[in-house]
Amino acid sequence: MNGATVADLGLVLPELILTGMALVLILVARRIQSTSVPVVATVLAAAAAVAASWWVLSKEPQSAFGGLITVDGYAQFFKVLVAAALALVALLSVKGLEGSGAPRSEYHVLLLLASVGMMLTVSAVDMVTFYLGLELITLCSYILVGITVDRPSSNEAAIKYFLLASFASALMLFGISITYGLTGTTSFSGVAASIAERGLADDPLQLAALALIAAGLAFKIGAVPFHSWVPDAYQGASTPVAAFLASGSKAAGLAALGRVVVIAFGPDSPALSIILVGLAALSVAVGSVLVLAQTDMKRLLAYSSIAHVGYAVMGLTAGTDAGASATMTYAFFYVFMTLGAFGVVIGLGARGATLDGYQGLASQRPGVAGVMLLFLLALTGIPLTSGFVAKFVVISSAVGAGYVVLAVLAVVCSVVSAFVYMRIAVLMYMREPESPTPARFPVTLSVAIAIAAIVTLVGGVLPRLITDWAVAP
Amino acid sequence: MNEHTGIAVALVLAGVIAGGMVWLASILGKKNPTPGKLAPFECGNEPIALPTGRLAIKFYMTAILFILFDVELVFLYPWAVLYRDLGVLGLTEMFIFLGVLLVGFVYAWDNGALEWK
Repeated sequence: MNGATVADLGLVLPELILTGMALVLILVARRIQSTSVPVVATVLAAAAAVAASWWVLSKEPQSAFGGLITVDGYAQFFKVLVAAALALVALLSVKGLEGSGAPRSEYHVLLLLASVGMMLTVSAVDMVTFYLGLELITLCSYILVGITVDRPSSNEAAIKYFLLASFASALMLFGISITYGLTGTTSFSGVAASIAERGLADDPLQLAALALIAAGLAFKIGAVPFHSWVPDAYQGASTPVAAFLASGSKAAGLAALGRVVVIAFGPDSPALSIILVGLAALSVAVGSVLVLAQTDMKRLLAYSSIAHVGYAVMGLTAGTDAGASATMTYAFFYVFMTLGAFGVVIGLGARGATLDGYQGLASQRPGVAGVMLLFLLALTGIPLTSGFVAKFVVISSAVGAGYVVLAVLAVVCSVVSAFVYMRIAVLMYMREPESPTPARFPVTLSVAIAIAAIVTLVGGVLPRLITDWAVAP
Repeated sequence: MNEHTGIAVALVLAGVIAGGMVWLASILGKKNPTPGKLAPFECGNEPIALPTGRLAIKFYMTAILFILFDVELVFLYPWAVLYRDLGVLGLTEMFIFLGVLLVGFVYAWDNGALEWK
């Protein structure tokens, strides 16, 4: 039993709440298919999970289940973020899944279980829980991407995603097994101690293991050169699912990467710095350039997410606590701005799917155009939005670590990608409308977009509310 | 030379001798096939259909439900061996595990997985 007690269960209360709700929903799945029960239940469970993670942390940081997971400020930060993303995505799905034929209750069960996986991943301090959490996310994501069975493009995306992601999982598992073979332990701190003690930092096998684990994680967060699945999966999946992949999954992957960097393989490892700098530079550059050519909104947001992951990883290259905290801030703000942008895309329906649909939106629906402009400014990184704060903290941490070239590249790329975001703004404000006025947004969608907009604005004006809370492990 | 060398030599020798016999027979032997010679000899009845024939898709649901209980058994065996050491906590955990699996089974049942149609 390795010292697991009933008291440990209290520490995973947020996960238990989400799992319990998922089990209840699956039991009554057939009877609540066409009702709003799944959405309400998911949002309530997410709110309860936020409250529970607060209650759990009011005690000291502690590890549970014989050192398999830990409950500290870092885990709590990301658990709240994951629960918020879950609630917002559930609200977006009310309109986003309309007429798609997706089974509502199963959809929400999968969202809940994927969120459990994310929460496990962010609190994992052992290779085994870390891998299991990531697998739980990916297994649910496969089905979520393909949940609109009637659409061939959805099936295609699901199969592509499945083939590539299972390959990435296998790579990561291979890396984990090599690390276990070399160090004789699976716990992050044990691995770090063993590497330091036996001088394994330059061991070729250890470097191979590190590269394999980093490649697997880079795949999960969609960093270049492991990004090729991202645009296809986002485009094929229904829009709320794409929003969930872009928000929750990325945040969990970044959190896991942060722990691996800070605890297991150590911030001093030169190989790790090279890998991280490479991932960050490539993602920022490739994402920012390829986003310019996109006309499909989901593909556009997919390439934008690739670039943003690059910025987020930049925080980790420093290998310091301040850097890790910058990445946390970035992940937090990015989740809300991307969810908001996806929300507007969902609200506009078929019209929102392509760039042309945004022509003249400001004269038809000034409010919608206004919030979309806010999210676009945030994605670009304009001051007074959370996007600026996020970019500022990661770039300054990269400069602080001496990666000046990387920082310059990031600034240049952010200017380059501004072109595409501003093009949407120009289409909205300076063109005549060509399509009929879109219908009013449903209340659920408006609430979700409003929450995302508030976080984006407040984060830009009073960033300390979040940055003070983002404390590295 | 260690104790494994003998095994390796035996393996190679066996392979060379057996393979060599088949190879020699195939180049030196006389080939005069007749339908009677080509028929399977003492291998049971003549096949009436290809073994890779079509199978009703309905069986896949049965197979998935089988896996549900198969995996359950995989976990039940080691648990049963350690049952006394695990105590009441272990018993509770196993019942929770079975309950979670049962939820999945009830879901499948509820959605008509057990109806043969």
